[in-house]
Order: sequence, then structure tokens, then C-alpha cells
Amino acid sequence: MASFFKKHRYGLMSLLMLLPGFASFFGLFFYPMLVTVVRSFRPEGLTTGWTIQHYTSFLGQASARQVIGLTFFLAIACTVLSILLSVPLTLLLRQKLAGHRLFRLTILVPITVPGLVGALGLLLFYGSRGWLNLLLTQGLHVVDQPVKINYTLTGLVIFYVWHYFSYTAVTTLSTLEGLDPAFEEAARVAGASPWQVLRHIVIPLIMPGILAGSVLTFMAAFGAFSIPLITGGSYRPLAVQIYKQIEVFTPARWEAASAMAVVMALLQLVFLTFYMRVLRRPTAS
Amino acid sequence: MKTLRQYLKALLNAKKLLAYTFLLCFFLWVTTPFLMILLKSVGRNWFGKLWFPPELTLDWYTWAITVTNIPEVLRNTLVIAGIAVGISTLIAIPTGWALGRRRIPGKEAIMSTILLPRMIPPIAYALGVAQIFYRLHLIDTHIGVAIAHVAICAPYAILVLSSTFEGLDERVLEAASVCGANNLRTFFHITLPLVMPGILSSIIFTFTTSYNEFTLTLMTYGPKTITLPVRTYLAVGEGYWEVTSALSMILIIPSLFVLFMIQRQVQPEKLVGGFKGV
Repeated sequence: MASFFKKHRYGLMSLLMLLPGFASFFGLFFYPMLVTVVRSFRPEGLTTGWTIQHYTSFLGQASARQVIGLTFFLAIACTVLSILLSVPLTLLLRQKLAGHRLFRLTILVPITVPGLVGALGLLLFYGSRGWLNLLLTQGLHVVDQPVKINYTLTGLVIFYVWHYFSYTAVTTLSTLEGLDPAFEEAARVAGASPWQVLRHIVIPLIMPGILAGSVLTFMAAFGAFSIPLITGGSYRPLAVQIYKQIEVFTPARWEAASAMAVVMALLQLVFLTFYMRVLRRPTAS
Repeated sequence: MKTLRQYLKALLNAKKLLAYTFLLCFFLWVTTPFLMILLKSVGRNWFGKLWFPPELTLDWYTWAITVTNIPEVLRNTLVIAGIAVGISTLIAIPTGWALGRRRIPGKEAIMSTILLPRMIPPIAYALGVAQIFYRLHLIDTHIGVAIAHVAICAPYAILVLSSTFEGLDERVLEAASVCGANNLRTFFHITLPLVMPGILSSIIFTFTTSYNEFTLTLMTYGPKTITLPVRTYLAVGEGYWEVTSALSMILIIPSLFVLFMIQRQVQPEKLVGGFKGV
């Protein structure tokens, strides 16, 4: 026994050090996830017995497909728009124009402030009496009536991008800064136009960074809860629907909520795996 | 030749102008919502087509403090965040050290497993956490809500700390022992000062994560453990926009502090979780 300890001292020590991390993982993630999965197979209100009724009744509804579609639409639209915003933004920031520090800090604002505060500010800004509509109606006279943005699908996409583009922008920026300028110089010396340098050298080289960042944006947008909860109005993506099962119904429909949560977690895992596969291929070749 | 140069210069300036217009639009797009919250929280009778509130007042802050019971809510939030930071840091120091500095088979796999809670929507395991906590009578206790926060905070702290410990230079530690310092001395005089910035940034990030955490709090809170984000959410539901704005201005203070800290020393990649490998 003693010799066993002596022989494996290093490994045992490592295990001991990893233990707190494992404890929090299993106690606060794995076990709760297990409870959610088990509960999703229980008949409503009972603690024994098995049923797949919650899955069939949820997935059978046309509204379920709409909810899942909406969740994916919001997450994908947000990811694509975040990339389209982040690439030019970070390319400009890289040139270190005067005041670039301020703009760099600005990128971090949406992920540092609480989501609820951001959502409130956006509702005020895009509201019918907000500054955007005042600018459009009185400043520029583009439209007569205030444009309705809050509680519409367009508005929700704008809010999502505002909240989650930071992940893409920060990761892209740090990849861009780590890029060796020698590559671009070589291309320029060889006679490539700025556009060609960008298209054939810079973008392919920072692609892994953009990809990693966009995965983060996607995950955050797919699981978004507080933003659609208060700015979504009648648009309720999965996370909000799950919460409504518990908040609106008495007694709370834990089983139905759990089934939806399991579906959501699986969808996210499957989509992430797929996303990495597809987007990794061009950079690998 | 001269006109050509002038033309190019003008073009360059036009380009610069375009760049600044883009950056400025971006800046305004991100920040004006906060300006509107600020104005809403100090304005009175701000209706109709007015750009600015006609009268200024601090009434909404008084309201926020008395009606929504800010002192107690703030105390709850800080106590919960404090406990969550403490537990997360205690978990992350040994685990982060093991993952950052020791030879462990399958290190990448262990790291990805520990980071899994950040890949799955929090609402999915928040449901389970709530059910377990109901059974353990941890709902509506400070320690309960704080432990729920650890689910999110600990992976974060482990990530930041393991990269900090990994960056520690072996040679410096060796030099200390060569110069005759024993293990304890090396630890207190060399290791600790070197890793302190990393531990501090981990504390700052876990603190804000807990302070801003909404999903897990919403599933585990009760009348005695209302935190600022939950209070803000309830106030939004009550529909008093001015009071909600005042609440938001209070809620935002630590975030500003964190932004200030980041600008001074911490790399922003750490804030997004540093998923470089994904």
C-alpha cells in the first residue's frame, strides 16, 4: 500500500489537485444536467415512471418548430452580422489611428455591462420616443411616423448583435494583432493590390480567429435568455419558452421545461459540432 | 506631379474620414443607449418629441433606494458575489495549477470537460440546479445562490488561472532555489508575487460574472435573496422606466470599474474566455 502511494505519488497529487474542479463540474453541472434529463422522462407531477410524452407533445407541435426555427434564425443572423461588423472594425483598429484605445474599449462594453442594462438602454434608444426615431423623424425627416423597432424581429436581431458581437470582435482583433506583417509585405512587394492582400493573405490567415470568435457569439446568442426575455415581446426563443413553462403555469411544468431544455442542449451540441466541421475544412486545406 | 500628389493626399484623407465616420458610428451605436438610460434616470416629464428631459431631478434615485429597497438588494448581491468568488478561487487555484503546470494525461480533454458548462445554455442545467436546491433547502439562501453561481464562475476562474500558472517561468523558480531559498520562501517571495496579477484578474472576472448573473439567480432566488439584476428585471416588469433606469445606473458601476481595470492591464481575450483552441 505504502509503496503504491510512493510509486504513484505524482499522479495522486495531480488527481487531488484536480478534485475541486471535478467536484464543481459534477456537482453543479453534470448532476443537475442528469436531473434535468431524468425529469424530462417523468410523467407530469410524478417522481416515478417513465414516459416520452413531453418530447412527443413538444416536438409534435407546429409552434415547437417555429420556436426552434426562431432560435436558430436569431443565433445565425447574429453570428453572420457580427462577423460582417467585426472584420472591417478590427482591420481599422489595427491601423492604430488616433483614439484607437477608446474604440478598443468600446468593443468590450456590451460584454462587461449586465445584459439587462444593455437591453433597457436599447429599448429606450430604439423606442418610438428614442433618439433614433427622433433623428429619423425630426433630424433627417426621412420618415413621418416613428419606425417600430422594439419587439420586432429586426429589433431583436439588432439587440442580439449589440450584445454578442464582442466575442467575435475581440478574438478577431487579437488574431489580427498576432499576425506577422511580413506576409503582407511579401505580397505587397510581389505586386498585390491592397484588396488582393486582404482577400488572399489577411482574411485566410485570421480565419481561425474569426471562426473561434463566431462560435462564441453563436453559443451566447443561442442560449440568450435575459435579452429576449425583456426585449422579445411575442418572439420567444427556446430559453424563454423553457422559463415560461415554470413561471406562467401553476403548478410549474418542470417535466415539459426539462424536455425542452434537453432538446435545446442537444441542438446546440449537434450544431456546434457540425459548425466546427464545416468551417474548419477550408482553413485546413 | 504636384496635383497628383495632392489628389492622393486628398484620397488618403477621404479614406481616413471614412474610417473615422465608421468608428464614430460604431462608438455611438454602442454607447448612446447608456446615455439614454442616464438621461432617463435624472429626467422628469420627458415625453413627446423632446431630445432632452425638460427638468432634472434625483427623485428616481430616492425612489429606487426606498421603494425597491436598494441597500438590502445591494448587500445581497455583494454577499453572494463574495461567496461565489471565494469558492471559485479556492476551486480554481489547485485545479488551475494542476492543469497549467503538471504532466497530466488527456489534459486537453479535461480542460474541455471543465469548460462544458460554458458551452451548454445555462437555463438547461439551471433547471436541474433549482430542483436539487429545492430538495436541499438551498433556495432563497445566500450560500445557495452563490453556489449556483459557482457553476458558471469556476470554469472561468480555472481557465484564467491555468493560463496564468502556465506562463510562470520555471527558470525563475529554479534560480530562487539555487540561491538557497527553501520551498516556502520561494512560494511567498517569488511565486505568489508573480501569479498575483492573474489571481486578481480571475477574481475581478468571477466577481462581475456573479454580480451580473441572471439566469441561475432567477431559478434559485427568493424574497430574501433578490439581487440587483433580478430587481432590475422585476422593475422592468412593473413598468416604471425612470426608476428602472436609476437602478440600472447603480447596477452598472462595477462594470465600469472592470472596464477601467481591463484598459489598464488585463488582456481582453481573457474576458471572452480565451477559447483560442475551439
